[in-house]
Formats: sequence, structure tokens, C-alpha cells
Amino acid sequence: MISQFYILSSRGDVIIRKDYLGDVPRTSSEIFFRNAKFWKEGDGEAPPVFNVDGVTYLYIKEGGVQLVATTRTNLSPSFVLEFLKRICTIVKDYCGFLSEDAIRKNVVLIYELLDEVVDYGFPQSTATEALKQFVVNEPTVVAPAFYQAKPLFSLSKGPTGVFKSVLDTNRTDGKRRDEIFVDVVERITCTFNASGYVASAQVDGAVQIKSYLAGNPPIKIKLNDDVLIGKRDTPYGLDRAAERGHMVVLDDCNFHEVANLDNFDVDRTISLVPPDGEFALMNYRTTHGFRPPFRLHASMDADPNSEYKALMTLRLWCEIPPDKAANGLEVEVPTPRWVQRVHCDLEGGGGTGGGKAAAAAAAAAAQNWDYNEKTHLLRWRFKRCAGSSEFTLRARLTLEKPYGSSLRTEVGPVNLRFTIPMYSASRIMLKYLQILKKAEKNYNPYRWVRYVTTSNSYTFRT
Amino acid sequence: MSDGKYFSTTKRGEIHELKEELRSLDRPKKKDAVKKVIAAMTVGKDVSMLFPDVVNCMQTDDLELKKLVYLYLINYAKTQPDLAIMAVNTFVKDSQDPNPLIRALAVRTMGCIRVDKITEYLCDPLQRCLKDDDPYVRKTAAICVAKLYDINPELVEDRGFLDMLREMLSDANPMVVANALAALQEIQELAGSGGKDLLQMTSQTLNKLLAALNECTEWGQVFILDSLAAYDTRDPRDAEKIAERVLPRLQHVNSAVVLSAVKVILRCMDVVALGPGGGEETIKAWSKKMAPPLVTLLASEPEVQYVALRNINLIVQRRPAILANEVKVFFCKYNDPLYVKMEKLEIMIRLASDKNIDQVLLELKEYAQEVDVDFVRKSVRAIGRCAVALEKATERCINVLLELIQTKVSYVVQEAIIVIKDIFRRYPNQYESIIATLCDNLDSLDEPEAKSSMIWIIGEYAERIDNADELLEAFLETFPEETAMVQLQLLTATVKLFLKKPTESAQKMISAVLSCATNETDNPDLRDRAYIYWRLLSTDPEAAKDVVLAEKPVIADDSSTLDPSLLEQLVSRYLATVAAVYHRPPETFVSRQRMAVTRAEELGSRKFEEEDGSTPGTMVSDNNAAAAAGAAAAAAATTVGDLLDLSDASPVPVPPAAAPVATSVAARGLDDLLGGLDLGGPTISSSMAAAAAAADPFAALANPSPAPIALGISPAALSQLPVLLGNPGGVSVQGRLVRQGGQAVYQLALRNDTLAPVDGLMIQTNRNSFGLSPVSQVLAVSSPAGGAIPPGGLAPVRVPLLVDPAKVTPPPLNTGLQVALRTNQVGVLYFNDTVPLSALTEETGSMEAADFLAAWKALPPEVSTRLPLAVPSAEVAKQRLAAANLFVLAHRQVPATGQDAIYATCRITAGGVGQVLLELKFVAGAGGVDVSVKAQRQDVAQLVFDGLPAVLLGAA
Repeated sequence: MISQFYILSSRGDVIIRKDYLGDVPRTSSEIFFRNAKFWKEGDGEAPPVFNVDGVTYLYIKEGGVQLVATTRTNLSPSFVLEFLKRICTIVKDYCGFLSEDAIRKNVVLIYELLDEVVDYGFPQSTATEALKQFVVNEPTVVAPAFYQAKPLFSLSKGPTGVFKSVLDTNRTDGKRRDEIFVDVVERITCTFNASGYVASAQVDGAVQIKSYLAGNPPIKIKLNDDVLIGKRDTPYGLDRAAERGHMVVLDDCNFHEVANLDNFDVDRTISLVPPDGEFALMNYRTTHGFRPPFRLHASMDADPNSEYKALMTLRLWCEIPPDKAANGLEVEVPTPRWVQRVHCDLEGGGGTGGGKAAAAAAAAAAQNWDYNEKTHLLRWRFKRCAGSSEFTLRARLTLEKPYGSSLRTEVGPVNLRFTIPMYSASRIMLKYLQILKKAEKNYNPYRWVRYVTTSNSYTFRT
Repeated sequence: MSDGKYFSTTKRGEIHELKEELRSLDRPKKKDAVKKVIAAMTVGKDVSMLFPDVVNCMQTDDLELKKLVYLYLINYAKTQPDLAIMAVNTFVKDSQDPNPLIRALAVRTMGCIRVDKITEYLCDPLQRCLKDDDPYVRKTAAICVAKLYDINPELVEDRGFLDMLREMLSDANPMVVANALAALQEIQELAGSGGKDLLQMTSQTLNKLLAALNECTEWGQVFILDSLAAYDTRDPRDAEKIAERVLPRLQHVNSAVVLSAVKVILRCMDVVALGPGGGEETIKAWSKKMAPPLVTLLASEPEVQYVALRNINLIVQRRPAILANEVKVFFCKYNDPLYVKMEKLEIMIRLASDKNIDQVLLELKEYAQEVDVDFVRKSVRAIGRCAVALEKATERCINVLLELIQTKVSYVVQEAIIVIKDIFRRYPNQYESIIATLCDNLDSLDEPEAKSSMIWIIGEYAERIDNADELLEAFLETFPEETAMVQLQLLTATVKLFLKKPTESAQKMISAVLSCATNETDNPDLRDRAYIYWRLLSTDPEAAKDVVLAEKPVIADDSSTLDPSLLEQLVSRYLATVAAVYHRPPETFVSRQRMAVTRAEELGSRKFEEEDGSTPGTMVSDNNAAAAAGAAAAAAATTVGDLLDLSDASPVPVPPAAAPVATSVAARGLDDLLGGLDLGGPTISSSMAAAAAAADPFAALANPSPAPIALGISPAALSQLPVLLGNPGGVSVQGRLVRQGGQAVYQLALRNDTLAPVDGLMIQTNRNSFGLSPVSQVLAVSSPAGGAIPPGGLAPVRVPLLVDPAKVTPPPLNTGLQVALRTNQVGVLYFNDTVPLSALTEETGSMEAADFLAAWKALPPEVSTRLPLAVPSAEVAKQRLAAANLFVLAHRQVPATGQDAIYATCRITAGGVGQVLLELKFVAGAGGVDVSVKAQRQDVAQLVFDGLPAVLLGAA
């Protein structure tokens, strides 16, 4: 089983260390750090599982720290990695946030938790809820520095926007605030081929819940009625089902163990008693019947005036509904080494409707570009990119050698990064969120339902 | 309140202050003090001196305070068991506390104190807690049984704890079931493969486990699934029943549950396939259900993805049908980490088929134009591998490769040429039309592999290339500077050219190459090959044609295909384990051993550290180095075990002609000689072997001073010495202790992997049970660079050891030997080794048979054990014993048991061990050797038991 567990800072200092079996020396943390930092094969990162002198090291990175487990046995690596992930969740649930600072401020509490969570290298009960009864220490909640200035929805990763310990629900003073967050978080992977068609597309989604409800009342969640799951529901193939109308077709999905799915096949409702803290109620994946939020077209022409110049035009269409908008959109265009300088003109923001000129001016103000001459990366950034709009970037490239047709293939692939709040690409919806069996009549905790779609890998090939 | 403030106290007298506070009667103050102590402990400060004061706080009914004290105890229980034992009475009392939390806490903490003394106190509370009303206590107690087994396995069996664990498998609480199962699995593993089947899986237990599967935590589910996978059933109906219960687990969020479930179902498939009709329908249905969850794993974090991909790699080799239509999901994303991309590529190649090859090629072409060089290279190779694997797609692959060559990016071109050579080997005489394009890119070749590939192509198709002679000539200009790989290829290609086109220029080239390769090189491979060609060409050019231009066997893509038996083993037994990630059988990396062994090492290294203070000068140590040394020893001990296993399976071939020499040269040395001369084949006579060894410049180097017996290690044998200190990037040490010329001698090989010469080498041993200490601390390294090891160099060193009574540690005997090696450049290096029995036994240690009998009667009672070894015959055993200076005095048959009994003796003066008497009983050829040992000191027995396997297996 697991011989040791430790949390390392980004500089390699041990913040937390537990030794379970005593068959791996203390110095293993240094051996780990050295090997992970200077991985021998090429300059890539060390794989999450590797072996040095008979000791297997497994690690994950989160919140600027590394969580490491060592073992000498032949156990299941995904078991250990999942377990490390779970420790992250527990730390987040109890300390409000996972960072080096938060861990250092809660060392004793974390040791107390770790003692319950692992015995002799065997994971025990890791449910945030179940651990509460064993914990006697008070958390010190540390909100991250960058967060304080920003509003709730600006963060890209769903329910992380709440920094609060689950132990708050034990409070009896007036400061307790009962609330539950249900977030639909989707990550899009999309690759377009050179002619602009979708080569592959996938949405990985999750229904994430973060619950701070005293007394843990049962809740009930309903998804849209037209959700279809995999081959079971669509014997004639997924594509045909998706074509037939506005149906949400999932290739596959899985549920958290608390989910009661008795009525799921009848009316798409899930009832559950949400445990305290953060968990993914449902994970799903779809490759069908959703519309990519962005399209892009790139063209390259020789400059009629100079053979050492080229003109590149990027046209970007934002195809989400007009009432939604993408935040922090960033278009990244790698260019070949023999491009010396780039100068760009921006235009656009023109929706399909009228008043083009005014809208264009407004939108142009919210976008900018820069070109890094060392990395040869052209970046085109938007503060806010409204739905149903179109933008154009015209770039003039200064070249080291005369223009040739190969330039077109050497530019790219173009990558996009974005976050679209209150939008789900798969069109999955939460129809309602009910709190059942209320202890008292006026019990009406805050219920938050949020959607967010982010780019995972969104690439246009050229 | 923040814990952070506890870390700020670093001023003097802090310990004293804490002591005061701990004694305070004010509870909050006391609690605060304990918190401070724990905070100090977590940052690595030694607060063990506060132990009595902290333990005093334990007697409290404040749960928080109690928990804090336990936190402190658990931490020091492992490192300072002698202190922890002081708290034992409180533990026993707490294990009967009305609060289940405290009962569990007490039992948990007691189990962490890993000393034999604790066991007598632990047993009764443990027995009670295993039957506790509260499931939380029961599940904690279950794990505690595994802890106890680690300290004292006999006790666990005697007290019937194993039976209790088995009973707990039908506990009402799933958490208890899971922990009982986990404990049984752990004990099974500690007991090793020799142990009996602890789980005793019956259909009844099977049903219980299947029932608990739905209720368990996810971790418990993995334990249960793993035991289901290990359940060996031959009944297809059983398999179907299991699979039906396991299939829903594929929907679990936890990837470990999914992968373990996949493992179980794959096992069930194998069993169902034995049933009527081969179970085709069932297998098909299960396969369909497995694909989506496997694909879903790729949506998780990169770490989990990586593990999943390594497993999927195995699954698609074993059952390609499952994911045949899913190649698209393995396409790389631009933000995947490199390690994920590389694995995806590997799977793409495996899933490539005539149906999807166009899609795959399109992707691979994209990848070949990315930025990361390693990834690009692998993508180009992937195109070549697809071409070799799929005949129908070869032309398309070649077109893509040609397009890539047009990009003129140096490493892409070179990689493409390497794979095109493979394509030519696979499909001879089909695609030569592209050679012209390749020849346009000769200038960009600067890597040996690409160069030699191109040269091979030129030689192979010399008759089709008009200017082949010019091209080769251009390469030949730099012949002396090329690497061996390119030189060999150039030599062969020139011969081919000459045989195909015997023009004047070809003749000139061939004579130039042959003379250069025979006269001006010190590479024997090249020289020999040149001589063979020379002789062939001069005696019978037609025969040369037959040899050099012979038809070559067709190649297949096997660059990363696993050996079928290994694949079978990995898929059916080790899927979802670390072995499946490394694609290696677990024996090659698992290094677990029982705690007692490790602890001994730990203690040893602690003494090492203490002693450092008193020996000024050569050795500098700190906590960490000593602990590292302890670990290294643990690792070394197991590697030695592995080596022995190996030599058991493949006995070292000793040609009979060499046998007489064996008596005059130390046995090990002879092995080395032969090992080094493997190329010579068995016909070589022993005298020739010795002569050759003497002629070997390396062996001569190794022996600069006229020592009585040469180190005589050939370079090949040097590299086979056990690794004592693997330190790539620094100085690494290989070596072993042997007995030569009446003393223990360290045969060491030091490799310098740094970029600068390493000198100023000195060696010292720590105090040890035998007082072994180097005769001279200065290492006489003989190398061309004087006393230094040049960068990249390997220096053999012979270190005679003497017995220094001042360095003998008090009993008990311990075979560990800690060695420090000082260098001017890389500081002090530490490594741990074990002293083999054969290095200690003296040449003059025999005695008269009559004296033996008298001594046997006079000595205290013998210590016996049974060693899991097989001895082929009594004669072999005698020979091997004699070779290790264990003198056989008598041999008789025991008629009652059919055993051979051998009586032997040896003397070990080192460490004051004295005369040792042995009795070995065994049945020739069968497993198990009963050994009884008598000596003045009882602790000698273990030394003999540890050392005897190596002797009897002939490895010493």
C-alpha cells in the first residue's frame, strides 16, 4: 500500500509529511523532487508514475503544490492518483481553498484529517461529510489573494469561486449561511481542419455540487427531458438522434454514489442527500449535436508592394446566442521563425443587426493584440466577446526571406482559449433544484445554479 | 485562530518554555503548548525530548487534547519505539474507553509502534476490538492485524487473528469488510508467494464480497474487485455471475474502480471463452459495454489519463475489438502533456487499420509539424510503422513522408529517412522511385542513425543509383571520424557497391575502406568484419556475393510489441497495477520487505550517524544521508535476492575444461573470467582464458600493484557487478565483497558520469559486526589519467579489507556494511551493502570429525530453519559448500525420510564469531533445505541462514 504521503511546495519543501509503512527513507521527497524537476527523458514533464531505485512515486499537481505518494508494492496507480485528488478536495472543503498558504495555516487540522483518511497506507472513509465527526480543530480559511478583488463569476473553473469551510455548517451563531451551489461545467475540445470543417469535437461536462446545508436535507434535481444517453437510448445511432431536433445526446455518463437514479429513466430527475463539500454528481461526455461556439478563417496573401511582406487575415465568428458573451477570449497564432515583425489592424464587433459602425468602435476598444518576437507568437485578446458577432484581424508580417507559399502551412495551428459563463455547449439544463423534507418551514437556503463552458483544446489547423 | 503562529518560535530555550507550558494546569494553555509541539514536529524539529511531558497530558477527558497527544505519539511511535512503549498502559486503558473514537485511536496508535515488545500488550486489546460493537473500532482493528503481522507473523497466526479477519468478511458493515479484505491481501503479500492462500475464496465468500461491492466506499470497491480478479474460477457460469455484478461498476466516477472492474471483466471473458460456443455473444456484449467507460477515462486529468492509456495499450493488444472503432478519441490535443501525447500516438498506431488509416495519417502529418522535437520524431516514426504494418496503406504513408521531407526541417528529414529504410526492408524492390528525392537531402544528415540508414539504402540499391559511387565516396571522406554504427554500414555498403558494380572507382574505394578499417581502427567489430569481407573477396568473390547480397528476412513492426507471455501476464493478472504502467512484471520493481528487516537497517544507519561525530576527517554526514543509506541497503538486499533467483534459473555454464582452475582461483573470479570472455565460446581452453584475460588491457589496468591474486575482471564482467550506488549524473559504484587470498576483498567498479575527472578517492567503512575495514583508505585507481577517473570512465578497484577489532559493533550480528566513499569533486557518497557469508569464512576453518561430534554436544542447543531452496544433488551441495570455505565433514543418508544429511563447519574470526557447526538435511532435487546451526553465539544462526542460499545456489 501507500508507504508515504507528502505535500511539497513548488520549491520542493515538504509542508506535510506522513509516513505509513516506514519502508521508504525520509529523503525520498528530495529524490522525487529532483527526478520530477529534471526528468531524464527529453525535456517533457515526468510522468505521474515513475520508479527510482525500487520506489514508485505517484504525484499530482494542484493549487501550486505537489501531492506525492510513494510505495514499494504493485498497487493500482489510478487508485493512488484518485486518492491524491480526493485529498485535494478534502483540503478544499475544510480549508476553503487549496494553496501553499492555506495548507501551512492549517497544518494541524490537515494532519488530523490525514490520520482519519489513511490508516497504515490504506485509504479509509474519505467523504468530507463522514470526516466531520472526527475533527476537533478549527480551520483558518484563507481566500486567495487574486480572488478578493473580483466578482463571483469571473473565475473560469466553476464552483471554485466559493472559499468556505464545510465546518461552517456546524456553527450555531448567526454567521452561518446555508447555501448550495450546483454548477454545470463543460470543457470543449474541438479541432477544425484546414478547410474549416470540424475534424473532431467533444464536450466533457460535469454537474458539480458544493453544499453547505446544515442537517443535510435531501434534494432533487431535474435535467432537461430530452437528454439521451448512449446506445441504450438511441438504438439507431447517436447521429440520427441528434439530427432529429434539439436533443441533448450524451455518449456516456457516470454518477456519484449518492445519486439515486430510480426515476432518472422516467423523468430525468436525480434525488440525493448531498454530502458536505464539493463533489461531481455526474460526469458526461458528448460528441454529437452541439455547435462549436467559435469559427475562424485564416487567409494569407503576398503583399503586392514588397516581397518581404505578407498579409494575413483572420476572421472570427462568435456563434453563441447574442445574450451570452465569452470572457477572456484569446486567439494564439504561432508563426514561423522567419517572421520578424507583425503589425495588426483590428475591426469588427459588428453583429448581424444594425448600428454597425458604433458597435464596431465599441468592440474594437475591448480587443487588443501583441506579437512576441522571441516566441513568434501572435496573440489576439478580447475582454468580452458578445454572441452573434464577427471580428477581423488584418496582420502585416515582415519576413526575413521572400514570401513563399509554404508560409501558409507554417503559420498555425491557431489555438483559442475562452470562458463562456451561463452557457452550456451541450445544452444540458437544470430544470429545477428542490430541497425536500425541510426541517423547518422557513428554511430557505440560498440555491445557486450556474453554467460555464470553457475551452479545453480548441484548435484550428491551417 | 491560525496555526501559522506556532511556527514563529525559534528562539533559544523554547523547549524549556514548552515543557513549562505542558505542565501547566490551565487546560487551554496546555492545549496550546501541545499544538506548538506538533507544529514544531511537522517542520522537522526534534521534539522527542518532550515525550514524557506530552504523554502526561494524555490522561484527560478532553477529546481534542487527547487527539493531539495521539498525533504526537503516532509520529514518534515509528522512530522512537522505546519512548512510545512508555505510554503503553494508557493505550491499554484507552482501548476500553466508552468512547469508540478513543478505543479506535488507541488500537490504531499501538499498531504503529513497531517493536516486538509492544505485541504482548497489543494482543488482548486487539482481540477485544475486533469484536467491538462499533464498526469504526472494528475496521480500525482489522487494519491493525496487518500491522501486527508485520512485526510478528507467528503471533497473528497463533492468536487466530487470521480466522477472525476471514469471519469479518461477512460483517454487516461494508467498511469493515473492505478493511478486513485489505488486511488479508496485505498479509498475503507480506507472506510472499510461498504463503498459503489466506482468503480461501469459496462461493460463499464470493457471494458475500459481491454483495458488499455495491455498499462499499470506492476504495473498498477496488479492494474487492482486486480480490475478484485474483479469484481463479474455471466455471463460465461463475464468471458470468461475477461479470454481471461488476459491469455496473464501469459507470463509477473513480477511475480506479473502472480500471479494476475492467480487469475483472477481462478475466471473466477468458473464462467464458472456455465455455460452450466460446462465449462469443457474451464477450461481444461485454466488449460493447466496456468501450464508452474506457473512453471516458480520457476526459479526466492528465495524470489519470496517462495511467488509463498505459492500460489501454495493453488491452488493445490483447482484445483489439473493444476499441477498434474509437481511434479518434486518441488523437492528441495541443495542450496534452508530452507523456500523454506519446502514449496516445502508440495507441493510434495499434488501432490504425485499412479503414481509418487516412484519418490517422492526416493527424500524424499535423503532429509532424509541431514544435516539440521528441513528439515530432515519434510521429514520423509512427507513419513508418503504419506503413510497415498495413500493406495497403504503404503508398499513402510514403507520400506523407515525402511531403514531410519537403519541409527541409533537419530532424524531420532524418527521421523520415530512417523509417523509409524500414519500409524498404519490409517491401523490397517496390518503392525505389523515391530514392532520387532522398538523395537530394544528403547534406542535412548529421545523426548517425539517419546517416547509416541512408548509406544502407545506397548500398542496397547501388545498381539503380547512377552516381552511387560518388555518393558513397562523399561519405567515405569522413570515415575515420564517424561513429561505429556508420562505419560498419559504410563498410558493408562499399562491399555491396563493389559486388554489384565492380568499376575501377569502386575497387579503389573498397581497398581504401578495408585498409582503413583493418589498420586504423581499434574497434574489434569493425576490424573483424573488414577482415571477413577481405578474405571473402580475395578467395571467392562469388561466395561473397552469396553472403553479402543474400536475401534478407522480412521484418515486421515489433518495435514496441511485448512478448506474448508477458502481455498475457500483464493483462490477466496485473492490469490496473503499477506493472501495467511500466509494462514490466512486478518482480522487476517491487521491493517490499517485512518491516523488521527495514527497521534493523534503520537502527544501523542511526548508529552510523552517531559514530560520525567521533570519527573526525573523512566522513561528513547528516540525517538525510544516513537515512538514504538505510534505504539503499534495503534496495540492495532485494536486488541481491533477485540476482540469486536469476542464477538459479539459468546456471552459469562452466565448461568442464575450466574446472581444475576453479580450485586455484577464487570461484567468483573464475566466473568473471568466463563471463568476460563469453564471445570466445565454450571451446576456449582455460589456459587460453587466463592468457586472454592477462592480455586484456583492462584487466591489466585493474591490477597495477603486484597483488597476490589479480582482480581479473573483464570490462563485461565489471558491468555485471551488483549496483551498490546508482547515481546517474554523478559517481556510481558497482561491486561485491569476495574472499581472496585469505582476506575479504571489495571488488569495486566506479563509474564517473560527471563531466570532469574525479580524483582524491578514499574509502571508509562504518563500524560493523565483523570489524571489516579497508587496509588503506586511499583508493589506488589506475587509469590513464593518473589517480583520477576520467569523465565517462569506469575504473576497477580492488580494496582489501582487514578485521579491525576496534570497529566491531556489539551483538547482535548484522550483515549490513555501510561504506563511505570520498571524492574531491562530488563530495562523500554513501552506500550500503551486505557482507556475504562466503567473504567471512576462513580457508583454515576445518576441524576433525571427532572434534565436531564433541563440539556439537558441548554447544548450546541448535537453531533450525527451513530454507526454500532446491539442491540438485548432495555432490553439488558439497562442492558449493567447499567453494565457500564451509568444510564438509560427513555425509549420510537418512533412511527414514529419504534425506541427505551433510555436516559441515566453518570458522569466522571476524567479529568474534568463532567456530560454527552446521547440519543440512534435504532431498536432492526437491525444494526445502533444513538447516541447523550450532555456535557459541546464538545470533550467528541468522547470519548463516541469510548467507547459505547464495552459497548453495552457487552464486557466491
